[in-house]
Amino acid sequence: MLSKIWKNRLEFYPFLCMYLFWFLGSFVSSLRVENRPGIVALGLITIPSLTLITIAAVKTYKELLLTGDTNE
Amino acid sequence: MNNLSPSVTYDKRFGYIAYGLLLLVIIFSTYLHYFQPEILRVPSNTDVSTWHNPTFEQTLIYDRMSEAERQKIRTEGVTDGNNLSLVLFNDVVMLLLGLICYFHARRHFGFWLASCFLIGSFVFTGLQESLWILGGRYLGGSFTNPMGEVIYGSYWFTRGGLWFIETPVVACIGWFFIAYTCVLTAGKIFPKMSLLGRATAGGLIAMGIDLWMDPAVTSPEIMNWVWGKGDFLLFFGIPIYNFMGWFFLIFCFAILWEKLPQMEKRWGRAKATNRFFLICFGADFCVMAFILVSWFVIVGNLLSLMGVNHGLLIPQGW
Repeated sequence: MLSKIWKNRLEFYPFLCMYLFWFLGSFVSSLRVENRPGIVALGLITIPSLTLITIAAVKTYKELLLTGDTNE
Repeated sequence: MNNLSPSVTYDKRFGYIAYGLLLLVIIFSTYLHYFQPEILRVPSNTDVSTWHNPTFEQTLIYDRMSEAERQKIRTEGVTDGNNLSLVLFNDVVMLLLGLICYFHARRHFGFWLASCFLIGSFVFTGLQESLWILGGRYLGGSFTNPMGEVIYGSYWFTRGGLWFIETPVVACIGWFFIAYTCVLTAGKIFPKMSLLGRATAGGLIAMGIDLWMDPAVTSPEIMNWVWGKGDFLLFFGIPIYNFMGWFFLIFCFAILWEKLPQMEKRWGRAKATNRFFLICFGADFCVMAFILVSWFVIVGNLLSLMGVNHGLLIPQGW
């Protein structure tokens, strides 16, 4: 599975971008914030968006299984 | 050279002109921002007492701060305001993320469509942000909201390496890959949905991510950007019209870009490109006008009629 993803890593770049953006821009930032009650818990509000992005990434993987590698 | 097809020749010329122009605007804006800050009234990161439209006391972050935090900002300036390594880190990371997303777009849609997405979203959002930022700086304090409270400007970014007008290039690049991924995600999950439905889904996905990021990065510990007071409803210290902007920018751009292949079929690549960028410019002003009218005029007056007589106040320390 991992070798398949690595071989076709370009297909996952947009999703990787969003995960990193979410992680660095929101998660790490919220940990830096002190004395603002609930700022970390507020992250729960991003669950629907993250779930949809994850579903799209999984769908991309399933498409690759059906169609074969894109860089062959 | 003579063996190249007309579209390849056009793509090359388009690439040189579009990327060249964008680079020129970035170089000129960056020069203005750092070396002629008085022209665009760039607020100082070191001395907050020089802020005007809004002053430090007229910002939302002032309300969120404790007295000790206010004193710290008055003496030391904006948090990490002149931290060059942080600026460099942000710029490099965002450029890399934008670049890998562009590679994906180029493989799937070709050079012309991928470049139209990159440059189009970059300019569309960069111009929109700059319109709000400069509008706030020059017109701040001149208007009141329907509750009779003064609108003290809009907002501005405190950090950035390269600038597009008054928007950091990293913010424009961020808009590019967020818009691209959200439109891609909506298309993957709802392939049978109409264009309007997919654009709506893309806009909502992007807005969902922003709902957490903005309250965190505008906190006094980070101060990535600063908001002026004036909106009557706030979400964890962030004006609601910011989230409306997130949704409508992605929504409108997704529709414009997905219409581009049809425009090409109808008018040819060169004319389609010109019209696409012209529509992008026009749509920028329409989005701004729509948010101003729908939010500040219609919703504001409705709330006022319902008896709301002042905007939401933020508890100190938030």
